Amino acid sequence: MNGPSRIHTLRLLVAWAVLSVIGIVIALFIRLPPGDQSRQAGDESSLLQLMLILSVPVFVGVCLFILYAAFVFRQQGKGLVDGPPSYGNFRIQVAWVAVTAVVVFFLAGVGIAGLNGAAQATNFSTSRLATSGTAPVGSSAGHQVQVQVIGQQWYFTYRYADYGGAESLHLVLPVDANIEIHVTSTDILHSFWAYELGIKADANPGVDNIIYVTTMHTGSFTVRCAELCGIWHGNMFDTSGKVVSQDEFATWIAQLQKDNADLKLPPYAPAYFPSPRVKGA
Amino acid sequence: MRKYLFIYKPTPGCYVRNKVEAQRSPNVGRRLVVVLLGAAALIALVAGFITGFALKFPPTLTASPARLAQGNQPAQNAFIHLETVASVDTAITFPRPDDPHPSWVSYLPTTTFKVPANSVVTMQIDQEDTPSGLRNPFWANAQGIIGGKFHMTYFDDKGNPQAGDFSALDDPANAAHTFGIPDLGVFVPLEGLNAAAPPGSMNVITFSFRTGKPGIYRWQCFVPCGAGTIYGNGGPMQTLGYMSGFLVVQ
Repeated sequence: MNGPSRIHTLRLLVAWAVLSVIGIVIALFIRLPPGDQSRQAGDESSLLQLMLILSVPVFVGVCLFILYAAFVFRQQGKGLVDGPPSYGNFRIQVAWVAVTAVVVFFLAGVGIAGLNGAAQATNFSTSRLATSGTAPVGSSAGHQVQVQVIGQQWYFTYRYADYGGAESLHLVLPVDANIEIHVTSTDILHSFWAYELGIKADANPGVDNIIYVTTMHTGSFTVRCAELCGIWHGNMFDTSGKVVSQDEFATWIAQLQKDNADLKLPPYAPAYFPSPRVKGA
Repeated sequence: MRKYLFIYKPTPGCYVRNKVEAQRSPNVGRRLVVVLLGAAALIALVAGFITGFALKFPPTLTASPARLAQGNQPAQNAFIHLETVASVDTAITFPRPDDPHPSWVSYLPTTTFKVPANSVVTMQIDQEDTPSGLRNPFWANAQGIIGGKFHMTYFDDKGNPQAGDFSALDDPANAAHTFGIPDLGVFVPLEGLNAAAPPGSMNVITFSFRTGKPGIYRWQCFVPCGAGTIYGNGGPMQTLGYMSGFLVVQ
């Protein structure tokens, strides 16, 4: 490496290091979605933050080199001259692929561990699949709540398996609870997406799709449909989802059960195939 | 210059640009014109179709103004009179002779309603369709309406006219349609006409609900009533102006 090359390399390295550190410090202060309303959402936010921090040096490096080259290596003078032919540099190529591979595989590992942990950390060994009528919330049994999400054109409704299969227009969940969410549909494909809770699952007719969420903080969340499902798909959302305290939830669910007393609902089931499938024809 | 780029091996040399001369066909101009005209015609057709579709919008029905208390009905700020039919060409109250889909099930006369904000809206729906049944029996319950009950005149199994106040349908399978405004939490099931009812009769359902702040709220029917379409959710269920629309609260 001769003199001028060394100077350029040194300049680029120093600028890259300084700008990367500044960028990482900024990245540490950025709050990334979906937040911390549930453990799963918190995990997703931390993973996004980690990815942001790791990508800062790469982004800074690429941008810096492009700008540096554009200004410092700009061709001077009037006559246009062909640039030097480019040849491969084996060491740089190997280093580039190796560093990229390490970053990608590391992030893949972190992501897989996060997904795995989301289900494993929640102990549902005592969870009931059938209606039992008992109220585990507030008890010492791990606060399991089983909720069924029913997608239909164009609204999500929710049934609480542990409370006689009571059905609600809005999703209300107790805080500090392990929630088991069973997602299904009565007509076509929908997708249940509770953004602030960091969970999303397809709602397919005849399928019982299970996801888990552990609520951490009270607050409201939005439920959206994330699968194009017809003319009102864009309106298939509800901003009234709530995570409430255990006491508030007990009061609310008692009221819901009272309201539901006169309703003629089918027995709680993992999926529903109600008739009619087709009218008239 | 190139000595600065340490990743390049400095080698002398220059590039020779290959010259490619294509033989032009004598017809190329004419062909180009045909292709361009064809493409333009296609684009115009697609644009026309999309524009026509986007501009097709049902007319707006403004709620009738305030009415004093009548009989056991409370005084109301706004009144909307609707009709639900098994097919548009059999309408009794609000015929729509030039409808492009005369055989479709529909709300009539239109599906966009303008109502005042923060007021009580009373709706009367003349329901002439036969039952289709609900896929989710949850919707057989009236929700979000004043008093929790709707008033209905209907026909029993012997074809005799009956009347009463109900908070739900006896059997979710008897629902013909529902009127639901999700963002207002208003859901009202509409009982299907009994097979024993005399021809040309209708169930008349009346209910009231409160509007809140101004805005555009969508409403829809939750009965899969698009006859002959897959899962009953096609046709009139997927087209503005039949089984869904907007409540414009001003």
